[in-house]
Order: sequence, then C-alpha cells, then structure tokens
Amino acid sequence: MKLIFEKSIPGRDAYSLPTDLFQDIKIEDYLSEKHLDKDKKQLTEVSEVDVIRHFTKLSKFNYGVDDGLYPLGSCTMKYNPRINEKMATLSQFVYAHPLSSAEMIQGSLEIMYQLNLLLCEITAMNQYTMAPASGAHGELTGNLIMRQYFIDHGEKRTKMLIPDSAHGTNPASAAMAGFEVIEIKSNENGTVDLNSLKNAMDEQTVGLMLTNPNTVGLYDEGIEDIEKIVHKKGGLLYYDGANLNASLGIIRPGDAGFDVVHLNLHKTFSTPHGGGGPGAGVIGVKDRLIPYLPTPIVDFDSNEKKYFLKDTGKKSIGMVRSFWGNFSVLVKTFTWILSLGPENLYQCSRTSIINANYILAKLKKYYKPAYDQYCGHECTLTGREYKKYGIKTLNIAKRLMDYGIHPPTIYFPHFEPYAEETIMIEPPESDSKEVLDEFINIMIKISDEAKTNPEVLLSAPHVTPIGKTDDVLAVKKPILTYDDELNSKDQ
Amino acid sequence: MRYIPSTKEQQREMLKEIGVSSFEELLKNIPEKVKLKRKLNIPPALSELELEEKIVKIAQKNSNFYEMKPLLGAGAYRHFIPEAQKSLLQREEFWTCYTPYQPELSQGTLQSMFEFQSYISRLTKMDIVIPSIFDGASAAGEAALMSLRLTHKNKIIVSTLIHPHYRETIRTYLAPHHIEIIELPYYDGLVQYDQLEQLLDEDTAAVLIQSPNFFGGIEDLTAISELAHQKKALLIDIIVESMSMGILKSPGDLGVDIVAGSAQSFGMDLNFGGPYNAFLATKKQFVRQIPGRIAGETKDKEGKRAFVMTFRAREQDIRREKATSNMCTNHNLNVIASNIYLSLMGTEGIYQYSLLNAKMAHYLESQLLKTENFEKILNYPYFNEFLIKYKGNIEDLNQILLKSHFLPPLSVQSFYPGNHFEQTVLFAVTEIFNRDELNRIVDILS
Repeated sequence: MKLIFEKSIPGRDAYSLPTDLFQDIKIEDYLSEKHLDKDKKQLTEVSEVDVIRHFTKLSKFNYGVDDGLYPLGSCTMKYNPRINEKMATLSQFVYAHPLSSAEMIQGSLEIMYQLNLLLCEITAMNQYTMAPASGAHGELTGNLIMRQYFIDHGEKRTKMLIPDSAHGTNPASAAMAGFEVIEIKSNENGTVDLNSLKNAMDEQTVGLMLTNPNTVGLYDEGIEDIEKIVHKKGGLLYYDGANLNASLGIIRPGDAGFDVVHLNLHKTFSTPHGGGGPGAGVIGVKDRLIPYLPTPIVDFDSNEKKYFLKDTGKKSIGMVRSFWGNFSVLVKTFTWILSLGPENLYQCSRTSIINANYILAKLKKYYKPAYDQYCGHECTLTGREYKKYGIKTLNIAKRLMDYGIHPPTIYFPHFEPYAEETIMIEPPESDSKEVLDEFINIMIKISDEAKTNPEVLLSAPHVTPIGKTDDVLAVKKPILTYDDELNSKDQ
Repeated sequence: MRYIPSTKEQQREMLKEIGVSSFEELLKNIPEKVKLKRKLNIPPALSELELEEKIVKIAQKNSNFYEMKPLLGAGAYRHFIPEAQKSLLQREEFWTCYTPYQPELSQGTLQSMFEFQSYISRLTKMDIVIPSIFDGASAAGEAALMSLRLTHKNKIIVSTLIHPHYRETIRTYLAPHHIEIIELPYYDGLVQYDQLEQLLDEDTAAVLIQSPNFFGGIEDLTAISELAHQKKALLIDIIVESMSMGILKSPGDLGVDIVAGSAQSFGMDLNFGGPYNAFLATKKQFVRQIPGRIAGETKDKEGKRAFVMTFRAREQDIRREKATSNMCTNHNLNVIASNIYLSLMGTEGIYQYSLLNAKMAHYLESQLLKTENFEKILNYPYFNEFLIKYKGNIEDLNQILLKSHFLPPLSVQSFYPGNHFEQTVLFAVTEIFNRDELNRIVDILS
C-alpha cells in the first residue's frame, strides 16, 4: 500500500489554525538563527479526507480481537469491554495534569488506591506500585526491588534463576538489573526440575523468576518445594503474572509464597493490547519489600479524608518512568474487576482452563502435545509430526490465516527435547464453544492438507493483504524510513 | 456473564469431551494447601449502569480539568488534538490487536510504525528511529544504557536541567551497572559549558542534555557536541516538548548522536501522566545496539511492498539475557496516534503550531513583566516554557488563577529546593490559549 508520504500533494492541508497567529510578535526578536531552523521540516501535505481514508485502509490490514479468535499463547487476547474505554476517557481523567495539587486529583488517586486493594486481594500481596508500563518494565522494576532489598540487608547476591520455559523478557530483565542468569532445566513433566533448582540455589542467588502456570500451560506441581528451596537459602520468589488468567479465585501467588508479583493488566485484566501496548505491568510485593517500591505510591490520610501521593522513602529504588503510571489502563482494569465481581473472576479462569483443555483433548491426536497432561489456560501442541511431509509449524500457522484465524504463538516455548516446533494456544474465556469448535475443525483440516496437499501450506497465506514476507531482505538491505526508500530507488 | 459466552451446559459438554467428571480434576497439579478455599473478598459484580454511575462519581472528585487550561507543563503538555485523529483511533483493528508478530495480519500497525519512524527521522534529521519506548524518562534510561554498549565506558554526565523524573529514572536504570553519574550544573537557565569541559574525560560514555531543558531553555547543542566528541563521548539529546521541533534546529544538524524524545505532544492527552510514548532516534551505524522494536520495509513473496519488525536478533525473545533490552510490549497504539496527528498537521501545521507556541509564551512573559508583579530572573532563549519570579505570595497566585479556571504554573521549588527559586514559577503556554485568555491572565495577576 502507498505510504502517506506518497499521497502528499503540495498545497494540501488537514490542519486548522486559530485566527490570531500573533503576527505582532516576531520570534526573531527572541530566538536567533542559531536556534531557528531556516527551513520547515518536510513532513506531508494531505487533506483530512486523505488521512481518514489512508488510516481506515491501514486499519483493515490489521486483525484484532473483535475480528475473531486470537489464540496467542501467554498473551490472553480476551475481549476488551467497551465500558472500560468509556470510563477511561471521562474528561475529568483525560485532561488531568499529573502535577496538579492533591485536592484536584482526588478521583484519579482514589482509582489508584482502590485498585491497589483489589489487586492485593486477588493475588494475596500487600502493596502494588502502578508505575511499570509493561510486563517487562514490571520485571525490571521487580528485579531492582529485589536487588535493593539485598543491598539493604548487606548481602551480595548476583545470580537469578530462570527456568528454560520462561519468557525471554525474564532473563533480559534480570540482566538489565545486573544479575547473572542461571537457566534451570525443565523436567520430563514440563515443570521446574527440583534437583536442578536445589543445586543452583545458594546464598549468592537472588531467587527464582517463575511463571505459573508456566509457558507450556502447566501448573508447577512442585510449587511448595520450590518455595521452600528458594526461601531456605534466603532467596526471593518472583511471579511472572503473564498467565494469571488461569488462577483468578483458584490460587493466589502470595499464598504460594511469592514475594514479588507482576501483573500484565493488558492480559488477564482485559485492557487492550493496542498492537503492542500501552498496557501496564504493575508490581505487587509482600510487606518486607514495600520500602523498596518505586516512588511514589498512593496513600489515604484518614484524618483529612484525603488521598495523596506518598514518597516511598530513602530505600526506594527511585522512579522507573515519569509521573505515576499508565493511568487510563488502570481505570480500565478497575472497571473490569468491578463489572465481574468475585464469582465471575473465578468463572473467567474456570472457563479459560476448560477451553484450553477442550482444545488439547480434541487436537492432541493431530498435533502431539509437548506434554500430554491437563493444562491450565493454554495448551502447547507441536507440529513435529508434519516434518516428514516437509511442513513446519510456521506453515501451519500461515495456513490458519487463510481460514480467517490469527495463528497461535509458535516456536515458543522452545526447549529440547519436548518443546520443539511448538504451537501454544490460549483460548480465553471470551471465546465460545462454537468458536473453539470452528478452530478445532480448521486445525484438523490443515492436518489433513499437510499430508495430502503440503504445497497449499507451503505457499500460505493466500488471502491476506500481503503474502509471506522476506525477513532476510529487510536486514540485508535495510529500509527503515521513507527516505531510505527514496535513496535506494536513486541508486 | 456478558463477557463469557459459553453456557453452563456447553461447559459440561466440554468437560465430558475432555474426559473428566469435574472441573477440579483439571487442577490436580495445584497442591491443595495453596488453593484458595474461599471466594475472593472483593465487591460483588455491578451492572453496567451501576458501574458507570459509580466511576463517573469518582471521576467527578477530580477538578473539571477540561475547563481548566493549564499553565502547567513540566513534561506533560496539553495541545489541541484534531477529532479526525481521535475518531480513527477508535477503529478496533488498531487497538484490539497484539504486537505485530504476524506481518500478514498486521500491516496496519507495521506501516504506521514505519511512517512514524519516517516522520521522526525528518523532524530530528537522524537516520533511524525506534518508534516506541514507554515514555521520555524510560527512553532516556535506554539511551544511557545504549551509550554504554556503544562506548564500553563507565561515566555518564547528566545535565541538572533534565526533567527531575527523567533524571531519577536514568539513575534507576543505571544503578546496577556500576556507572559513575556526574551532574552537570547550570547557570542562568542553561548548562555550564565550562564545567562540562572540565568534567569530560576519556572515560565518559555520554553527555545527557535536555533541550529545550526543564526551564524551557534552548541549549547550545553544537558547542556541547564538539566538547563531547573531543573526548569520544556520545551526546544524548532529550526532547520533552516535541512541539519545539517544528521551528528549532534538528538535533541531527547539531551533532547529536542519540535523541530520546517524548512524543506526548504529538497527539496524546494528559491522562494524568500516562500512557505517553517516546522515540529514540540515532545513527544508522548504531542499529545493532538499539533497544526495542523497529519496522522495516521489505517485499512479500510476490515482490509486493511489505513491512516487518526487523533487526530482531537484538531482542529479548531471541537473545534472552544477551538482548539489548527487555522491551517487549511498548506503546504502539500511541505510535499510531502520533502518526495520524503528524499526518493531519503536516509540514505547515507543525511549523505554524510550533511557532505559535513560542510566540504566545514570549507574549505572555512580556505582558507579565509589564505588570511589575513579576521579575525576570533568567536571560536565556526558550521555547514555550519560561521561568519567572512572582513578587507576591505563590499561594495567592495559585488561588487567583484557579478561581478563573486556569491551572497554575509549576512552583519550581518543588523540584529545585533551596532559596534560589523561592517564588519562582515555570509557565507553559501552548496553542490552546488565545490572546483574550492570556490578557485575562495578565489582568488578574496585575
């Protein structure tokens, strides 16, 4: 499709200027040619109609949750309720300046304060910081909190244990926090190998980062032992909340002994992913870690009956961003929790677990599961059996697009010998049995095609706006801006 | 429940197909001891009507900010956003989708990233652009870390006129890496160049400067980059008020190596501080050390133009602990917001709005100084924010402005304690004001 730059016609405009342009003020009287550019920045010249049509057309090249099943594993692509959006765009919230005085922002602070209480009850933690902007940002924040805790206690701990099934953000975040990453192998059940953990866990180790259920979709049956092993050596347990959608009202990370928790509000808590954010990766901690939270947190002065932003004090890790958090995401989360209440939160997890196990039961004949056992809210199948037909998991994923379904997560998790050529499927509670049945039938059909007509998979997708992309060319001959493209044409 | 379509009957059927007699059988891997044996203690579900009434009531505990034009900026600026942008952002295809891992179903997001990269490249005159880090502060932190990877040095010089939240964030990001952080002092609203010359040495990885700085001042980046480059240090320019780029010289023309810019002014509401977005812009030769996602143009198998996320071998899902950053979810929807905003403004719109911001700020300052209630304390070139001393009581100034529905300027002492800035305020002026309103402000403060 044409770029907006290629639709630019000199003399067109889509802006409107106020009548008074302060012509009496000559900016040259204040700023010299040292500061002022002598040329205008060349952007584009298009009309408002051009813009509307350009972006409407672009939007149609995207596939969203409203278009159908979006079964990306560990991403929780559930329905994003409309009322959440409306509440987040109330004008008192949208136009609130973050540095306004406390008495002007009591509503915003109340949302943050009350949300903290709700999240604490849902996860059995003692205090949340609303600052982190994403899951990975939360992981970094959590790691820095743990780091600060040990510095404060005069302990030098430098290693972080991370299972091989963990999201890539876990090791990357631990590395950003200055830790050496030690990988813990999964056992034949797909969960943490307790002996490896025991051997690795020592008094130079910060602790363990764990996703539960893990990325293969399995609850760690050794969670009690894991907790004992880590805590016995004085370590801390970190909970990656990417998969919390399997746990609402069923198991709370705080009860299982986790010390630090991050929640992806854009996963479990129904706020939209926005094509890769903004979300929020709030961090909850147990009491002993509260002093290290990023500053500030919201507190309530019961004498003055007033909410206020409280500095977390000298032990705090400091700030991890400007201002207080991705506020509109917090409003959506708050709205969602109140619309569900305790019964429906539980139903959310119950339904998503039934959905995932249903798909597993129906498809395991066709796509060998990485581990053949009941799963949490997502199941991990593999495309290994199709190698003999020259078919890779990627081809299966691309073929799904022809049937109008977004592919699941592929090639993740990856660890030999169990999790290879993986297809990680997460069917959230907002997808009905009919939707799942349709997906199952299509997957079975593709399995059949792979054996009888592999060519149709290899050349897929066929009906999308573009076909399979040349990712190597993108690196070999990088075109990263429109001017790069113009230059490459000139050559 | 309206968001959970499967009926009880259907769920029973599904459990039967799975081959279990009860849901609990699926949870056998969870030890009994850690299971929650009661209901969550949170309020019962509300109907949509009850919910709306409840949250509207909470919202109303905020001031009616829509009717209060802010003279307060300090890192969060209220600019006018055309309705066409807000309307286009309502398209679910933009906001209900995931990170564009599958390019065939994500060309809308990917092309939009590419177009935004192109716009920012032209505004900054830098070669390449990472379209989304969470906000300006975290982008500054990432830029500092990037300079360490590029130079393998261990000292960072940070201007004290960088937004205090940004400075704190840079410190937090650098804390684990045993880096010496040196604060560069200021004088008369700008950093002290002679001090910089003394602080710079061969161990310096980067100099971080905000321009326009926290006081609105436009720094002499050419002079700073010459000093930095003499010692083979990188110059990182932090832009908090991106609207300034409309009329000011581009960092790429001033010897800057990395730009960390907040894009909030390009089409994002104040939203009580977030979500905003920020970009990093840098030189082509640094591409393998950049953090985060970047879109590139390529071809599909039929030779058709296509966009993909590229230079992925740096990223966490591939490189794990050796990745350049842990960035995964970013603020891509805000990238689309800015892309639409910049398309609507275009060459002339951005220039005119930027110019208007500067003119109106200088107009207000000159009018305030005429009242004799204000005193000029800095002689510096600024864009749309200026520091000024109020001869009366700041609390009175705040009350007067609030009574007339203006959000008062920042009292600088809250961020720069000490006697030096007693009674000093930082005014921000954007195009949302008109001459009548500025005159009224001057009038009530006379």
